[in-house]
Amino acid sequence: MRYEDLSPAERMLLRFEAEEFLYQEAALLDERRYEEWLALMTDDIRYWMPIRRTTTAREVDQEFTQPGGMAYFDDDKRTLAVRVQRMAVGRAWAEDPPSRTRHLVTNVRVLGVDGAEIRVGLNFQLYRTRLNSEEDSWIGRREDLLRRVDGQLRLARRHIYLEQTVILSQNMSSFF
Amino acid sequence: MSANAAGPWYDPDHGVIRDRGIFSDPDIYQQELERIFARAWNFVCHETQIPDPGCFFMSYIGEDEVIVVRDRNQRVQVLLNSCPHRGNTVCRAEFGRTNSFLCSYHGWNYDLDGRLVGMPGEDAFYRSGIDKSVWGLASAAQVASYKGFVFATMEPTAPPLEDYLGWVGRLGIDMIAAQGDMVALDGVMKNRIRCNWKLAVDNLFDWYHVKVSHGTALRLNVVDEAGMAPLEQMVMLGAYGHGIGGPGISEQRQREFEARMQGAPGAPEWFDPFAARRSDPEIRRVLGPVGSRSFGHPNIFPNLWVALTRQICLRIPRGPHETELWWFTFLPRNASDAERRTTIWAANHMFGPAGLLEQDDGENWSHSTRGARGHLSRRLPLSYSMGQGLDRVMRDPSGQDCIETVVNEHGQRWTYRCWQEWMQAESWADLRERHSIPPTDVA
Repeated sequence: MRYEDLSPAERMLLRFEAEEFLYQEAALLDERRYEEWLALMTDDIRYWMPIRRTTTAREVDQEFTQPGGMAYFDDDKRTLAVRVQRMAVGRAWAEDPPSRTRHLVTNVRVLGVDGAEIRVGLNFQLYRTRLNSEEDSWIGRREDLLRRVDGQLRLARRHIYLEQTVILSQNMSSFF
Repeated sequence: MSANAAGPWYDPDHGVIRDRGIFSDPDIYQQELERIFARAWNFVCHETQIPDPGCFFMSYIGEDEVIVVRDRNQRVQVLLNSCPHRGNTVCRAEFGRTNSFLCSYHGWNYDLDGRLVGMPGEDAFYRSGIDKSVWGLASAAQVASYKGFVFATMEPTAPPLEDYLGWVGRLGIDMIAAQGDMVALDGVMKNRIRCNWKLAVDNLFDWYHVKVSHGTALRLNVVDEAGMAPLEQMVMLGAYGHGIGGPGISEQRQREFEARMQGAPGAPEWFDPFAARRSDPEIRRVLGPVGSRSFGHPNIFPNLWVALTRQICLRIPRGPHETELWWFTFLPRNASDAERRTTIWAANHMFGPAGLLEQDDGENWSHSTRGARGHLSRRLPLSYSMGQGLDRVMRDPSGQDCIETVVNEHGQRWTYRCWQEWMQAESWADLRERHSIPPTDVA
């Protein structure tokens, strides 16, 4: 079943399902329900944010580092779990007092369907404030792979492409 | 003639910073750019980042952008990224390959060695009235590589790089360089912290903060408590402000530490960067009898930290209240796939803005910087007295004299003492004359 071969109604339904998942997932993060968020990840989740660089137009194919190389995030479920546990065990100073985040998810497109998997492209903004006056804003593009497991959508892969090259924040202690 | 502030800001006799303005004052900061960054040997990149003629990497000396480029004769050039016509940059990429540097404003064009080779209208508008040979890009006064690590200084009177580094600075770089034919990996992590650059440097000598600042990482066994916060510490101090401070661990402790790190969460396998120091006679020879027992953090003055994860971190000043951190990661050219995976795993998960270890540091440094900005807080002293006057220098026949002690603030005191000497020196000649002899060199 190729996405292009689906009827408009079937495509709408597919995108609706994907959007429902993505909005619910974003809400869990903004509500700091990290354990529930982690439960939405498949056991083989890859959560990856490459390093982006300013290159000339001629060499723009080298803009991002490649999978398996240097990256800001290159997490599997175990390391994501550590990040979640950080929030609970105390002395995670980057998140104590906790950040206030708002995840905006937009321009959602289904890029492809392969059996139980839906590949979704979207734009996002993660807006964060901390303490009295600290403000961070990360805007970028994501490519998410959603997989149907026991009738429920789960996140199996997330590639996060930020617009910033130099990260203009003192840390990235939030989930994207 | 000079409007420079004279200090003293730091009181070495008592281990006290008397004026917190060194972390916040714009005039003191400007003086640092002039007297420290414009004079010092600054790390700019690793040779493997620019393997061929035309390969360049954009770096910084203080706040000045410099293009590090391999020229047609294979020589590494360090060129100020500023066109002598209107000051515009002639290169805007972080790295790449090029045949020349073309200014986007009027088209002045520079060869890889910085020579001005052409401009539009040379005949029609300038009518032969310009001498191209005097309008090239400014280049560093001296460029040198120590085992592939490229440094540059804008000051012709600076001593040669190896003399500048001294044995402590060289040992610091050897801690990575001796691990093999090291290659810089693609991808430099960069992020900005709202802190003064010296507070980031200060922290690398600080093995006191681990249990509290990184309490979460310890509790979750991301890093091992016995390994990260051991009682046994070694300090080596070098002329002009270089230093190495941190654990000096016995073989027994090393084995315990490594056994525990096998269980680090998510690590596919654990490469053992320390075992080689014990077992490989060549590495032991390079690091020396004392250096090979140190698992501490070197700082190459002013702002290059050599980390234990085969990484180095530059702390680039961006004004008195902001610092850019650049993480470079290295691997031996002939590393196995497993070694490659584990090195990258550790680099990607420990440091950088999302690092499980590092993300908690930034807020402390930025709030310490804030604590230097208030009118009232600025004039309050800061305590750097831990271990002062309580330790002896151990002489070693190899010349690698060191202090063996517990957690301490020797490295920080040495850094601020030397920093003050740089700030008070009128010239390199003056600094050479007056700089402190490292206490590890006296009986």
